Amino acid sequence: MARISQNRRTFLRILALLGGGWWFLGRYLRQSGTREQRLARVADADIPPRGALVYRNERFAIVREAGSVYALSLVCTHLGCTVNVAADVLRCPCHGSVFDRRGNVRRGPATRALTQLRLQRDGDYWLVFSRCGDHHV
Amino acid sequence: MFDDFVRHLFPRAVRENNLKITYTFCLGGMAFTLFLLLVCSGVLLALYYQPDSARAYASVVHLEEQVFGGCFLRSLHRHCANLFLALVFLHSLRVALTGAYRPPRQMNWLIGCALLGLAMFSGYTGYLLPMDQLALWATQTGMEVVKVVPGGEMLAAFLVPDAVGSSQSLLRFYVMHVLLLPTAIALLSLLHFYHIRRQKGVLPYL
Repeated sequence: MARISQNRRTFLRILALLGGGWWFLGRYLRQSGTREQRLARVADADIPPRGALVYRNERFAIVREAGSVYALSLVCTHLGCTVNVAADVLRCPCHGSVFDRRGNVRRGPATRALTQLRLQRDGDYWLVFSRCGDHHV
Repeated sequence: MFDDFVRHLFPRAVRENNLKITYTFCLGGMAFTLFLLLVCSGVLLALYYQPDSARAYASVVHLEEQVFGGCFLRSLHRHCANLFLALVFLHSLRVALTGAYRPPRQMNWLIGCALLGLAMFSGYTGYLLPMDQLALWATQTGMEVVKVVPGGEMLAAFLVPDAVGSSQSLLRFYVMHVLLLPTAIALLSLLHFYHIRRQKGVLPYL
């Protein structure tokens, strides 16, 4: 009788372990996709005609140039410092990389352009989105 | 059949006194258990990690923030790695202090020393993989240290053909960390256990 009870207990323990493991693995392996995160909602009127609206904490800037509006991540593509926005260029204070107003590299050590964040028009506002990993706040 | 196999792993008779936990503190056994846990969690982490210098950090952030249980698994792997090193070191210390390295177990002592070295090297190669600032500069410092050791220049040239954190070196660290070193540790561990079994387990040599 005791043996049967022991077997049942072992069986239930193994079943619980396998079930728990299966559940965890199922959720771990499920494709989570590239979920977007909304960084900010910016009024169109707040963006200067030829300039940039800088959000230092969120580490991005909204730029208006030649009638077009775009958002640039301020995370340096070299080693992740926050770049400073000057009149004509964006300059990284850590290792001296320089980017133009479109985010293209003018001077290294960075080799990749700054990431452009997705913008979506919402009436008189702009919604700024970032994909996970592209722009780490 | 499995029960028979497990029974053959252990000696037929041991002294009651040797079964006390204070005889070995079970440090080696705990270290091997952690090694198995490290292998399991490492395989799961490898399903999301991208060994490319431009994408490695982003893939770790993705794992931590977007994947269910990713943060837990990464923390588990890291803490187990720290504890694994501590246990292997304490196990070596116990063997040294109790004189368990003396004949006929001198060969197993040497295998154990090799395992300690491999465990440390494995920890070092794994440290670069997240590719954050700490990883990059700690590995850079480690490489400078390696270069002043005899033969270190050769090892550094093999591990880092371009620059620390560049694509080629990251790939080599990755291959060492997930393939070569765990395989070597597993094989040497089996040899270690074979020697223990052959020498009939923990006998009172002292």
